[in-house]
Amino acid sequence: MKYYLKLGFILFIITAIASGVLAYLNTLTQPIIEENQLLAQEKARKEVLPSALTFEEVFDEEVVGETTYHIGKDAEDNIVGYTFVASLYGYSGDVKTMVGVNTDLVIEKIKIISQAETPGLGANCEKPEFQEQFSGKQKTEMKVDKDGGTIVSLTGATITTRTIANSIKAAMNKLDFPADETKEGVE
Amino acid sequence: MEFVGKILFMAVMAIFVQNFVLMRFLGLCPYIGVSKKLDSAIGMGMAVIFVMTMASTFTWLIHTYLLIPLHIEFLQTIAFILTIASLVQLVEMVIQKTAPALYKSLGVFLPLITTNCAVLGVAILNIQSEYNFLFAILNGLFGGIGFTLVLILMAGIRERLERAELPVSMKGMPISMIVAGSMALAFLGFSGLKF
Amino acid sequence: MTLFKEFTKGFIKENPVFVMALGLCPTLAVTSSVENAIGMGLATTFVLAFSNIFISLLKNLIPSKIRIPAFIVVIASFVTIVDMVMHAYVPAIHKSLGLFIPLIVVNCIILGRAEAFASKNNVFRSILDGLGMGLGFTLALIVIGGIREILGAGQFLGYNLFPETFQPMLVAILAPGAFIVMGLLMGLMNLKKKK
Repeated sequence: MKYYLKLGFILFIITAIASGVLAYLNTLTQPIIEENQLLAQEKARKEVLPSALTFEEVFDEEVVGETTYHIGKDAEDNIVGYTFVASLYGYSGDVKTMVGVNTDLVIEKIKIISQAETPGLGANCEKPEFQEQFSGKQKTEMKVDKDGGTIVSLTGATITTRTIANSIKAAMNKLDFPADETKEGVE
Repeated sequence: MEFVGKILFMAVMAIFVQNFVLMRFLGLCPYIGVSKKLDSAIGMGMAVIFVMTMASTFTWLIHTYLLIPLHIEFLQTIAFILTIASLVQLVEMVIQKTAPALYKSLGVFLPLITTNCAVLGVAILNIQSEYNFLFAILNGLFGGIGFTLVLILMAGIRERLERAELPVSMKGMPISMIVAGSMALAFLGFSGLKF
Repeated sequence: MTLFKEFTKGFIKENPVFVMALGLCPTLAVTSSVENAIGMGLATTFVLAFSNIFISLLKNLIPSKIRIPAFIVVIASFVTIVDMVMHAYVPAIHKSLGLFIPLIVVNCIILGRAEAFASKNNVFRSILDGLGMGLGFTLALIVIGGIREILGAGQFLGYNLFPETFQPMLVAILAPGAFIVMGLLMGLMNLKKKK
């Protein structure tokens, strides 16, 4: 019995020392990790809504559920647009897109922030040439060419393209501001 | 109804679309190592289903009720691997005492499972995907079933390969890898499934 | 064995991937590009070298009955350190390696070297062994990653190698390509060994 207590004790000491060292390192790296994540998000927001200088987070659980959006403001504190993250399940994982719209709800720019689509096909959605075609389009234009819309699908990745379009439409429907007649369901 | 649909979706995802072995590359060592004979493949498969389900259950509980309240999420890796190791040991002892017949068929595989990355993999994936308790357990169960499915398929193919005429240098491991590649190619057809 | 040989044996003669077929999961999972291969290889080398040092230092203090769990705790700690540091300083690589960083814990190479080498040899030899094996592992990952990236994307380390009209063989960077390239390389090693 005493022998087993000793074994347990040695193992406990090793684990305790390891935990202590890790706890210390965690206090060093955790702030950097959090800062990086915030910076990355801020950078993505800036990229999709270049005219805005500052962003203000809006979180209204009743209206938008879990989705939050940011209001972009310029130097004189005028509202220049909104940014939000649209997300839907694509071909092999969630595709998340940062979207910037101006005050008329016309898309300024989009940026794919995370995806796990097929490399070489769906993953091409990260290319700027693809993302540029979304600029200047409205919610109602979020339709791919295969479905009679204007968005040109990626070669061999209609599903990915459709996912991005649908996710943006769905997010805009959810986030949309009152008195909007153009609301429609997402298939 | 929506609930049943969600479970079904998860099952298809874990077994076919994101198959742990062929698509996620988890648990390759036993996949190649224990697929020589159909009998042992079935035994290994059952043991993995069991341990993956148990591990999902316990690691989820430990993460939610121990690591998060104490703010020590950074100890996740240590906590999970120790949980899995002790769990496997415990299961081994319990089965040995209560069901000697089962122990005879599963026993040899159990110690191998601690270092099966599919088990630790599913535990971490459950947390990363923010599954709730029920879905974490189901993910473990379905993941295990997906593993067993391809293990048994592989064993069936390899029993026949024994008698195939192959260049000597391709026998054994190399040809198993190529066969796994062809299976992965077939499983690639499942991705994009929608409900 | 001379010290130099201790260091270089992991490169070719006892290469953990091609010769001993250890650590297959990360080998196949992260080699869709050379960049990922280098990241994973160096992370594993770090863990391997440091866990070898500590296990070699502690070998007389740890009773043999709790040897394995103690090794696992030491290895898991270094894996967590690598995880934290990579998350903080190279977030892009951390993201693309994802799940496979915590899974270094169950990479059989590391526990294998701890058990077979570091627990029997002095510190200096253990460092050389850890570094050598780690670099051998990295080398294998780069070879596989290189072949897959060149065939599958027409690139090497992100640089285009071919004119625009080149149609890359996409399957090479998908899951099936990993298995097939690995199988062919293993066959090649067997062929070389026979001669």
